[in-house]
Order: sequence, then structure tokens, then C-alpha cells
Amino acid sequence: MRLRSLRTLTLAFLLAFLVVTLGTGFAIYSVTLRTIERLVDRRIQAVFDEIAGAFGDRSPEELVRRINAATRQRDTGDIGFLLLDAEGHALGGNIRMPRRLPLGFSTLHGRDRIIGLSAGRALVRDVGGGMTLTTVAETEPFDDYGPARIGIYLIGFGSILLIVVCGLSVFVVTISRRIGETRRTVDAIIDGDMTRRVPVDRSGGEFAQQAIAFNRMLDRISDLMASISNVSNDIAHDLRTPLARLRSQLALSRRRAESEAQRDDLDAAIAMSDELLEMFAAMLRIAEIEGGDRRAAFASLHLAALADEIVTMMQPVVADSGRTLVFDAAAPAEIVGDRHLLGQMLVNLIENGIRHTPVGTQIAIQVGATAAVATLIVTDTGPGIPADQRTLALRRFGRLDASRHDEGHGLGLPLIQAIVRLHRGTIALEDAAPGLRVVVTLPVR
Amino acid sequence: MSLNILLVEDDGVFAQGMAEELRGFDHTVTVAADGREALAAVDSQPFDAVVLDRMLPRIDGISVLERLRSGNMTLPVIMLSALGRSVEKVEGLEAGADDYVVKPIAAVELNARLLALVRARGWTAGSADTIRAGDIVVSPTRFRAWRAGTAIDLGKLEFKLLNEFVANADTVLTRAMLVERVWGYDFAPTTNIVDVYVRHLRVKLTADGGEDPILTVRGVGYMLRG
Repeated sequence: MRLRSLRTLTLAFLLAFLVVTLGTGFAIYSVTLRTIERLVDRRIQAVFDEIAGAFGDRSPEELVRRINAATRQRDTGDIGFLLLDAEGHALGGNIRMPRRLPLGFSTLHGRDRIIGLSAGRALVRDVGGGMTLTTVAETEPFDDYGPARIGIYLIGFGSILLIVVCGLSVFVVTISRRIGETRRTVDAIIDGDMTRRVPVDRSGGEFAQQAIAFNRMLDRISDLMASISNVSNDIAHDLRTPLARLRSQLALSRRRAESEAQRDDLDAAIAMSDELLEMFAAMLRIAEIEGGDRRAAFASLHLAALADEIVTMMQPVVADSGRTLVFDAAAPAEIVGDRHLLGQMLVNLIENGIRHTPVGTQIAIQVGATAAVATLIVTDTGPGIPADQRTLALRRFGRLDASRHDEGHGLGLPLIQAIVRLHRGTIALEDAAPGLRVVVTLPVR
Repeated sequence: MSLNILLVEDDGVFAQGMAEELRGFDHTVTVAADGREALAAVDSQPFDAVVLDRMLPRIDGISVLERLRSGNMTLPVIMLSALGRSVEKVEGLEAGADDYVVKPIAAVELNARLLALVRARGWTAGSADTIRAGDIVVSPTRFRAWRAGTAIDLGKLEFKLLNEFVANADTVLTRAMLVERVWGYDFAPTTNIVDVYVRHLRVKLTADGGEDPILTVRGVGYMLRG
């Protein structure tokens, strides 16, 4: 698992935190327990030595007397004693044992049913004459210490965990909200809304500073874009006026021309200026579409019905050019869009199919739809576009063969692409082997 | 037909050129260089049509048009503009323009549009269900057409095309006008779609051996003889 997303990072952190916390708790618990046991073991060993040390009288009577004395003393009053003979009969002491403990140290539990003891340690030693002396002490400072300790652990570590989880959640939510806001802004900008900005909170913190910096970058980009688009619009627009004059001067000269040859020359010049003007018109059209204003007039429509209409309309034109046009719709493909622009896109795609293929070519239009996208596929059986030139074909003025003097201004596919983008769709040029396949996808309603 | 035209255009070179070309079509042309001159000219004499540039000094084209329309001046107005955006086109048409063309425009195209507009003004409103040109009768409401009493079987677009020709009989219709009016597009297809459809229409109109009623006006467009 790569630690890249905020979610996996958070989960990994929480997991590590949980492991360390539980480990620490367990370590504290077991170390405490073992230390207490060692201390208690040392104490009962000392008490045992005092009563049944290697020295002196070890008769049963003397042992019982010493036990009773120790029981009465304040510092050993909490110690339990049990003196058993060889047969296991109690000779003295202050406790009863339901089970026989092995020699040496052992641990006692609540289930050993020793009155007033829920956890403790016992030392069983042979004191001679077949007798055994059991010395017992509690390992808990008070009764039911175990559950109480678990409670303390739960409250302590539980609240730490809660604070960490809450803190982390707030952190994660804050970060993902900021990222979400930024992403939505970026999406809006990609869709052409250059006025969108990331919201800035008034805290002045890192997020606010980042948002301010991001917004300043967007301001700058939008200024640059506006000036570029102004420049190209101005160029296209301002050049139209002198071109219009030029055209009108040429037309006037043609009227006054005295010979047929002069008229032919001037006709050619007028045709050239018309070509230039068409190019500017196409540029301005692309700029208009890219501006995104036409999205306001979007309405729902069936792509299949629109394609059918355009195919019917273009059928005679394609047939007239010596090519064939076939249409197939697998789904109605309901989308939201600009009917005129989509119509223009279809007409341009079919016109491209006519212009760049030899006579006899078949042009096929297919409309389909999935749950998310409507697809429009235009396939021809012509020469296609080599893989390394397909990007160029979508670029403005990216005519594949600069030396070729056929009609068209190299703005056909870019115009189609601008229309697709306006509809938040995608366009791809593929190899139909042989031929070109243009795949357009548009989001369904 | 000779018209008395007011050309409102601030670009002197373009205005003089266009005026001279329009005079070549036997029209009388008065040039006004700004909105104020245009309004004064309209007050002083009657015009058959106005060609109005959208961007003018002092009073812009849209305001001139609005003043004309609010003053009950119903004469045909063609708005001329360097701006080709669809929203601007809609603005112009909403302000009361009868037609909206993008500069530059060839004089033949402008002339054809002026004649078509002026002739359209002469139509008498809804006297009959059918319109007629020569021996061709079209019923726009029933989507039917006849030549010399014989019904002609036409496709939807062929019908719209014939209907446009009959409605504008004896008026030259340019390819751009036909694309706008019949196909309803605000862009020019690069293919010869108009020519192909006109050819198909001709074949159907002359199937019974009648004379071809559609005249090709070279370099301009087509005209149906009435």
C-alpha cells in the first residue's frame, strides 16, 4: 500500500499509534505486575525465614506460637500462614487452602477462594518432620485492584486515543476541505470559468496564505489569458477592417477593369482576401466558443436524433462527392448541449471525411451511450493520419502538409475540439486501420 | 429594382467603395458617417432601406436602430458589423434589424439581401394558404408543392428550399442567405451543400419535362423565375 492518499496516511498513522499505545500499556502492566510479585516474593521469603529459619526449634508447637505472634504483629498482620503436617492436616495458621500448592513460589487467584484475597503469591516450604509451611501475601494494594486497573487503563489510554482520533479527524477534514475547494476551483477554471477563486478564511494561517497565493496566480493567469485573447481577438478584429477595405477596393478595381485578364486577376485577389477573412471568422468563432458564454443556452437533446438529422442532410452532399455515408445509433444518447454547435461539429466532421479521403471512401457515423458518456464515432476508410501527427492535427493551423494547397484553413479540427471542450467532452483521433477514427465522448445528462 | 439606400458607415474608404458598388446596381446611395447624421438623414427624406454599421461614433448602431423603431420607422434595416459573435447577432436582431451581416460583405451579397428585404415588404399578408411563382405552387402549411398542377415529392430540406425560392421569386438568393434561412445555421458549411440541394431540386422540378425555373447567377447565388 502506497502512503499517498490522505486516507491511507491517516489509517497508517492511527494503526501505528494504536500498536504503540497498546504495546506501552501492556509493557507497563506486565512490568508493574512482575515488580510487585518480586517484592511480595521477597517479603514472604523474609517472613518465612523469621518463622522457620534454619536455626532454632522447629517443633510444631513452637512454629504455631511464632505464627500466632507474627499474625498479631502490625507489620506481618496481613500475611497468611498455613502449617500442614505430612498428611495435609492443618496444624496452625490463619488461612485455609482448598488446594494443595506445590513447593516453592506460586501465584494465587480469586478462584483459590482464600477469604479476603483476590490475587497474591504463596511460598510453600518444607520445614522438617514432613510439615510444610505456606506463607501467603496479597499482590494488590486493595481488593479488586485488577478491574480497577483495567478501568484506569481504559480511561487513560482511551482518552488519549480519543483526543488523537478527534484531532486527526479535524486535521483530515480541514485538509481535505481545502484540497476539495482548490480542486473545485481548478475544475471550474478548466471548464472556462476564469472568475472562480479559492475561498480565503480570515485566520491568516498557512491555508489562508496558500489560498491567497493560489488566487494571485489565477489572477495573473487570467490577466495573461485575457490579454492573449484580446490580442488575438484584436488582431482578428482589427485586421478585418483593413481587409474589408482591401476587398472593397479590389471589388471596385474589378468593376473598373478594362480587360478580361485584369478582371480574372482581381477575382483571384478577391478570392484570396475572402480566404483570409474566413480564417479570421473561424478564429473568432473558436474564441467565442472557448469563452464559454454559449453554455448558458445549453438544453437537453438526443445526440442520436441530431446525428440522424445531420446525416440525412449531408447524405446528398457525400453521395455527390462520390463517397458513402452510413449511420448507426445504438442508443438515443441524451445529453445537454448547444444544438447548433453540435450540428456544426457533425457537419465539420463529415466535411473533413469528404475533404481528406479519396473517392469511394465510406464514412460511418456511430452514436452510442454508456451510463456516463455518449459517444460519437466518425470512421472513414481513407488514408488516416499517422500517429505522430494526430496531436498536430488538433492544433490551430496545424495543417499536416504545409505545402498542400487544398481548401480549408487548418482550423476545422481545432473548432471541433473547442465545441467538444465547451461540452466538457473529450476527442481522440485513432487509427481505424485503414482510415481515421474520430472518437468524441460527451457527458450524458 | 432601383432603391434609395442610406449607408451608415464611419469607415470612409469602406463606405465610399460600398456606395460606388451599390450605385453600380442602379441604387441611389446616401452615406452617413455617424449615428447623428443617420438620424438626420432619415428625417429629411424617405429611404427604401438602411445599411447600418453597428459600431459608430457618437450614437452607436443599436441605439440608432432603437430610435428608428421607436419612431415607427419600419423601413428594412440591415445591420453591418465587424463583430460576428452569435450573442451580438441576437442583440442586433432583437433591437429590430431585419438582417445582420458580418463585415466585410461583398456588394453582390449586400445587394441581394437588400432586394430580398425590400421585396419581402411588398408581400400581402396571408391572403391564401398557398404561394405561387410561375407554375409552381407551394403550401407552407401542408408541406406540399405542385408544378403545373402535378404534385412534386420533396424531402424536408428540398421543400424548405423551394418554399424560400417561391417566396422570393425573381429575387437573387445568395448561398449564405440560403444556408441561414433554409438550414438555419449561423456558420457557412465549406462543402457545396446548397449547390447539391439546388441540383436535386432542379431534377425534381423538371422531371415532367418542364423548363428549369431556377436561374444560376454566377458568383452570387440562385433565383427562381416567377
